[in-house]
Amino acid sequence: MNFIAFVEGPLVWIAFLTFLLGSALRLLLFFTLSSKKDKPVYRFFNLKWMLLSIARWLFPANVDLKKNPIFASLGYIFHICLLAVPLFYSAHLMLWEESRFKWSWWTMPDHWADWMTLTLLAIALFFIIRRIVLPGVRIITTPSDYLLIVICALPFLTGYINTHPDGLSYQWITSALPIYGQYGTTIHIMSGALMLIVVPFTKLSHWVLFFVSRAVTGMEFGRRNYPV
Amino acid sequence: MSEDQYPEITISPEAIKQAVSTRMNARLKMWTRICAHCGLCADSCHFYLAKNKDPRMVPSFKAQKLKELVRKKGRVDENYLQSLYDIAFGDCTVCRRCTMYCPFGIDMAVMVSTIRSILTSQGVAPKGLQDAIKNYQESGNQMAISEEDWVETLQWMEEELQDELPGATIPIDKKGARIMYTVNAREPKFYPQDIQLAAKLFHVVGEDWTLPSKMGWDDTNLAMFAGDAKTAGHIVQLIYDRAVELDVQYVAITECGHAFRSVAFEGPVWLGKDYPFKVVHSVELFAQYIREGRLEFDRKITEPITYQDPCNVSRNGGLADTARYIIKHIAEDFREMEPHGNHNFCCSGGGGAIPMGPPFKRRRMEAGKVKADQIKATGAKIVICPCHNCYDQVNDLNKEYNLGIKVKSFKEIFEEIMHIPEELKAQEEEDLGEGK
Repeated sequence: MNFIAFVEGPLVWIAFLTFLLGSALRLLLFFTLSSKKDKPVYRFFNLKWMLLSIARWLFPANVDLKKNPIFASLGYIFHICLLAVPLFYSAHLMLWEESRFKWSWWTMPDHWADWMTLTLLAIALFFIIRRIVLPGVRIITTPSDYLLIVICALPFLTGYINTHPDGLSYQWITSALPIYGQYGTTIHIMSGALMLIVVPFTKLSHWVLFFVSRAVTGMEFGRRNYPV
Repeated sequence: MSEDQYPEITISPEAIKQAVSTRMNARLKMWTRICAHCGLCADSCHFYLAKNKDPRMVPSFKAQKLKELVRKKGRVDENYLQSLYDIAFGDCTVCRRCTMYCPFGIDMAVMVSTIRSILTSQGVAPKGLQDAIKNYQESGNQMAISEEDWVETLQWMEEELQDELPGATIPIDKKGARIMYTVNAREPKFYPQDIQLAAKLFHVVGEDWTLPSKMGWDDTNLAMFAGDAKTAGHIVQLIYDRAVELDVQYVAITECGHAFRSVAFEGPVWLGKDYPFKVVHSVELFAQYIREGRLEFDRKITEPITYQDPCNVSRNGGLADTARYIIKHIAEDFREMEPHGNHNFCCSGGGGAIPMGPPFKRRRMEAGKVKADQIKATGAKIVICPCHNCYDQVNDLNKEYNLGIKVKSFKEIFEEIMHIPEELKAQEEEDLGEGK
């Protein structure tokens, strides 16, 4: 099996399985440890406060939107682009349809995908600059915070370059890195795989633990009879 | 040696490692892992705002020290412990305001409390808290007041009160009373008038109440702020025992914030059981009296009034609206601080900052600037504080920042304007209008 075939086959499997099983394991680890050491979580379990807290922060109905409207809004837009483009981009759907699963669902017009990709990249750049510029954010920033922004941005950057072969970015990268012309798609798949693989091992695990953490805190304040 | 240095100890890496690992539960592990370091918590903190946005005051920075501590596996030196001590006890009042602004709901105050708990387990805690813990263990109250002195104070207050309201009593150990009232040990020690005011109010509204003579009358819990869960649980257990012995329906908490949090919310966790009685804070009780028409007022206060939401009464007690219900009945010119309610800023005297003593006073005066500015902006002349810590802190801020205000508890306001039926008053009251 050559390198390209490995990336397009087994690596994609490894990435998806690591992402899904790793995330499931994160949840499992929380529930096994908490059943021993966090008994109040279960004792004061309350569906209403749990769901309210999740909903207020999953959707823009929370206090941060008022306190830091620009950063909070960009946060939402970033996440929407991050999820929507990989899931609903037409060329990705073709791959699902051709796969053994034969899955198919709604796709977005390609120019949407273009704009959302550029938006995400711009916000990613803003996040990096913000971390450098604001002392209050810089002090809590670790090298992995920068690295993870880059890891999340790479699939979008390579995706954009690859789908615009007449564009400036493609010309620029193929002149700087001639091998890119041949391996563009492979590099794109590798960057996507990398992003999925790091999820369970980093703060990106918040894609599942967000719900747990919000639930726990929502119920804790729910004991005081108000939603947070 | 700086005066806010921690008490000397011998560092035991093994003991620290053990203390960390027993405390790291699933929530704390999750929170150290998922914090995105986004910085949205920064300007929610009064320390951050008061210290000109000093980045070391960002809540996440303080809370994530827990992650660092886990990674160090007990390999720490004196300087490191001193820095943790400064952060956990000196730069945070565990008010939980930041928790409300974290998109993930990371409870940073609980993380800082955990650092406190680890430090305290190694003897690294402010002397003021350590002394209080010893007092709780020996005498059941933070001020080491003997049972004899406690009962004598009650009798003295009862006698004084009877000069004004002949029928009023301070019932001690009355079995089957509706409520068992508990107080802050500062009351018998420094403000016995507070107990008298409560007794007066209870008499006027016709409450069936009692106070226990034995340990369990002090509802404060400074062990909670030191993170000493064992002593903290012991303190609540004493209250539990007295309430069960006296067979009361309610345990009422004096106008003290953290006592309410301790007994009502943390107590059931420490004891691992539910109570056969309900816990009510004074604010709730007073509102109930007004609602039932048992507490009426001759007039409203005309001077501008503002309300200091104690963190452990509003944000951590859920009584922000209840307090405002009372205020509606007593204040003509009520002015809210901005922000207020559940989002109010800590006065900077909470989290044990006042009992930590003189070494920490400079810090709480500095951090209290946010509160002082808030109060100033309202233009109020009276600040109501239904919490002993807020009360003392706002008084200190008043001096420090020349606020020109009077600090009052709800009971003190009631004392001025409460309607007392004629038949309850002592006779020979011809010159009643004199004081007006």
